[in-house]
Amino acid sequence: MNTAMTKEGLAQILDQALQDVTERTAGVRLHQGDQPLGEDLCTVHITFDKGFSTSLTLCADTRLLSRMACNSFHEDEVTPEDLEEFSKEYLNVLCGKIAGAMFRATQVPAHFGPPTFYHGRYEPEGQEVQFVLTYSDEHSDGAQLIHHVPRAHEGGAAPNQG
Amino acid sequence: MRKRIMVVDDSRLVRVQLEDVLEGTDYEVAAYCRSGEDAIEQYAAVKPDLVTMDIIMRGMDGLDAAEIILKNNPDARIVMVSSLAYGDTFDRAKAIGARGFVEKPFHQEQLVRVFGEALS
Repeated sequence: MNTAMTKEGLAQILDQALQDVTERTAGVRLHQGDQPLGEDLCTVHITFDKGFSTSLTLCADTRLLSRMACNSFHEDEVTPEDLEEFSKEYLNVLCGKIAGAMFRATQVPAHFGPPTFYHGRYEPEGQEVQFVLTYSDEHSDGAQLIHHVPRAHEGGAAPNQG
Repeated sequence: MRKRIMVVDDSRLVRVQLEDVLEGTDYEVAAYCRSGEDAIEQYAAVKPDLVTMDIIMRGMDGLDAAEIILKNNPDARIVMVSSLAYGDTFDRAKAIGARGFVEKPFHQEQLVRVFGEALS
């Protein structure tokens, strides 16, 4: 995020928020590692639209998100609609935690919009990856929390609007 | 008699979580609205003791919806339940007359305390 905070400092805030929110909302412990994601993926994405001009994307194995959704809804199985509802609310709460920690660190209020959900991978347009935090759970299903920043224009040229 | 809560949140998960957390307390979820517009429309018919209002929702946000409900029903008791619990958002919620603010993820002790204060 475009603040005086270092990338390492921001990554630490994201990591703490993710581990806390995941355990409290879904009863799942995630550990950082280099677990590669599988092929059946879901993505949720949130754009920070005030104070910051960045976005956060959570891309995860569908099995992991489904397991977390089952825990939250107290169901043995969840519908695709429940999976989407859970994923969006989870990232919403996660971003609230992150924005609160950022506010305490920088005094810059960050607002963000409603999350959007995708089956498969999603790459936000006009943004590039600043860093990725990779996690796995006890079943070796994985998740990636991806911090995107606005794409730098090569040579300082203005973007082509045509 | 249990106090009747109207939950306004675009996520059904929050309704499930609130029902879980409020089990065994003096509060019950009496109505659920998925949008601010829906809450404004239903408020008079439901006449809840207290409203929990999310902020980030598609369409009208929860702060605008709370302001309209309070304008139409000055006695309404509204507690914001949101992940955006700091800074200018917090200040605006207080300014429009919200009776409390609960940060997500919430827990029982915190909810019951804020609800009690809002209804006192």
